Amino acid sequence: MNLRVIRAMALKEWKETTRDRPFLLLAFLLPVLWLTVFGYGLVLDVENIPFAVLDRDHSALSREYIYRFIQSRYFLFRGYAADERALDRLLTETKIRAAVVVPERFEEQLAAGEPVAVQTLFDGTFPLHTDIAKGYVIAINQAFTEERLIDYVRRRRGFTYEQASRLIRPLAVEVRYLYNEEVRSTWSMVPGLIMFTMMLASSLLTALGVVREKETGSIYNIYSSTVSRGEFLVGKLLPYIVISIINVCVLWLMAVTMFHVPFRGSFLFFFSASILFILCTTGIGLLISLLVQTQMAALIITMVVAMIPTILFSGLLVPVASLSQGAQVQAHLLPAMYYTNIVRGSFLKGVGADVLWIDLLALAAFAAGMSVLTYQLFSKRPTT
Amino acid sequence: MTDERERTALPRIARWGRRLAAMTWKEVLQLSRDLPLLLFLLYSFSVAVLVSGVGITMQLRNANLLVHDGDHSQSSRELIHRFQAPYFHFTGEISDARQGLRELDQGRAMLVLDIPPRFHEALVSGERTAVQLLVDTSNAPQGFSAAGYTVRIAGAFGSQLGLASIGLSGNAMQSLPVIESAHRVWFNPNQDETWFQSMSTVLRMITLFGVLLPAAALVREKERGTIEQLLVSPLSPFQIMFSKILAMAGIILIATGLAVYGVLRPVFHVPMKGPDGLFFALTALHIFTTAGLGLVAATIARNQAQVGMMTLFLVGPMMLLSGITSPFESMPQWVQTVMTFSPLKYYIDVTYGVMLKGAGLDVLWKPAGTMLLLGGTLFVLGMWRFRRQFE
Repeated sequence: MNLRVIRAMALKEWKETTRDRPFLLLAFLLPVLWLTVFGYGLVLDVENIPFAVLDRDHSALSREYIYRFIQSRYFLFRGYAADERALDRLLTETKIRAAVVVPERFEEQLAAGEPVAVQTLFDGTFPLHTDIAKGYVIAINQAFTEERLIDYVRRRRGFTYEQASRLIRPLAVEVRYLYNEEVRSTWSMVPGLIMFTMMLASSLLTALGVVREKETGSIYNIYSSTVSRGEFLVGKLLPYIVISIINVCVLWLMAVTMFHVPFRGSFLFFFSASILFILCTTGIGLLISLLVQTQMAALIITMVVAMIPTILFSGLLVPVASLSQGAQVQAHLLPAMYYTNIVRGSFLKGVGADVLWIDLLALAAFAAGMSVLTYQLFSKRPTT
Repeated sequence: MTDERERTALPRIARWGRRLAAMTWKEVLQLSRDLPLLLFLLYSFSVAVLVSGVGITMQLRNANLLVHDGDHSQSSRELIHRFQAPYFHFTGEISDARQGLRELDQGRAMLVLDIPPRFHEALVSGERTAVQLLVDTSNAPQGFSAAGYTVRIAGAFGSQLGLASIGLSGNAMQSLPVIESAHRVWFNPNQDETWFQSMSTVLRMITLFGVLLPAAALVREKERGTIEQLLVSPLSPFQIMFSKILAMAGIILIATGLAVYGVLRPVFHVPMKGPDGLFFALTALHIFTTAGLGLVAATIARNQAQVGMMTLFLVGPMMLLSGITSPFESMPQWVQTVMTFSPLKYYIDVTYGVMLKGAGLDVLWKPAGTMLLLGGTLFVLGMWRFRRQFE
């Protein structure tokens, strides 16, 4: 490996990249714009669920009950329905996602101390959202039930309100939210999005590196030159690594200043882990670039490989623990999961290498594996 | 004179069609000779769909729960017992609260429940007591959801104990004024998440390929200069652009057929309530619309590297904000406004409408019409830019 040759290679690649102004602009703009859009726009809390009500009782109590839903920030009231057929139509047309049906004799039965079944209908097309909505309904029902019970015990047993409420609600849960004390979506999303953005942008940057030369034929200059395999690959990667490192720093700055996400870990640890991750992602791009013959194939394969598993298996949205066995294996095979742990750990948990050394090691191993693989695959004497 | 014109009109249309067909066939051939790409297309619409359907549950599952039981009484054990699978996964007891914090730091536990000493005693004697729950909220929605479950479990547990202490025990619940939650879930009664996940992967793939394939195909011609040859040939700009869409749409439709008949139906038993024809027709419309988006990007880009970054820039937000990854109704208003330009948003309504709800065009005419309008506009815009560049 000759440093001067590497420098020359890197310089050539750098000039090629920087002279393509729109490309260069996008390379720096894309991460910034993405983080802005997703950081402010990607909301995962299920709120404003549109719902309708079929009130068959029309009593004071049923209205009070329904009001609980109307005033909840989780539900968005879309009006009363005349009958069940109307609800059916609203659900099919996706005008509402949930419906509450209050039965006849709702007030009467509760006043008499009898249980009442309240039916809720859900649109089940998005199981996760349905699940969460169900939880909200159960919580509202439970709170309403407790009040009915307190009322009932007071009337039947002659307890004071204080006594009755202690009886019905003897157990409280003091919840302490760790790492993200106000449970802000942005705090947990923004660090994850840094991972997502880096994963996609930096692998795509590199994806065309080698295949472009193959397609235009300029690779033959390399084949016939004295540049060695290693020098060529290192020189190819360097400019993109530099761009990616700048991007990671910009994203970090945005997270801290724009989104006010606390950074509790050590910057040095985060920075070195980021460099390892960048080596992994640019390595993926380079590997694909070596394996395919056309830029079109490189673009598409990189995008699918980088995007789909990263959305699904990185821990960005779903914790890896709740994936099935097969998916967990896939999660462990890709670098995104490890880096997600490191980013969230560094930002929110404030832990460092003492806890995250496994993830760091995994990233290093992946980066090393990528280098060996690309070195083996690239040949200056292609068979075709 | 008019007779003459009529006689030449038919052959002219036939010739026009033959030329379009020839160009389309050229695109198909070109793509079919790119072996890595073809293999990958196959993989994306079969294995990838399978893996995502089998592998992912976004609902709270297996939240690792550690308990610090300071009481070791009947009540504390009973409470712990209520944290059931599939939501929670009881990972064990710890003897000291600090160990809990450590396990949370390392990500080995998501929840630590701390039950105080004298827990049972307090409950029996009618005093108020509290348990403490530490939740890892570095993944906010999941943490929040887990805390919600815990509060509900503890609340129900407490009420039952309290009522039992005055002689109104579990069996006597029938004579208490309680509200029972009766749920009925429509369109996916068993809450089978494999349906949702596998379908949404198909949607993602269709969109990704729909934007990228035609865009890359057009820019490639520009980059290599073969576009000049096409322009001097007896082909109109419309034929050049439309043939690319036709070819790519055909290929993606075949791949979608593979995903539907090879994976969604036989493996996951997705119902497909609506007519298959309608689904594929609307899929073709969606591909046309996304292809329009790609073509507009392609007229702006000079080379494939640029078009790659541009489509990534467009596709990323479409994937995350259109409503399959996150709840659309909860999004900020400005996101909902911007996303009215995302064809995927309408296609989601259409796909779930046809497949799960069995809705027909009478219900879906609105999203379908919007897609058509959007696609038409994009195509015209692309055409206009294309003409301006080369004529």
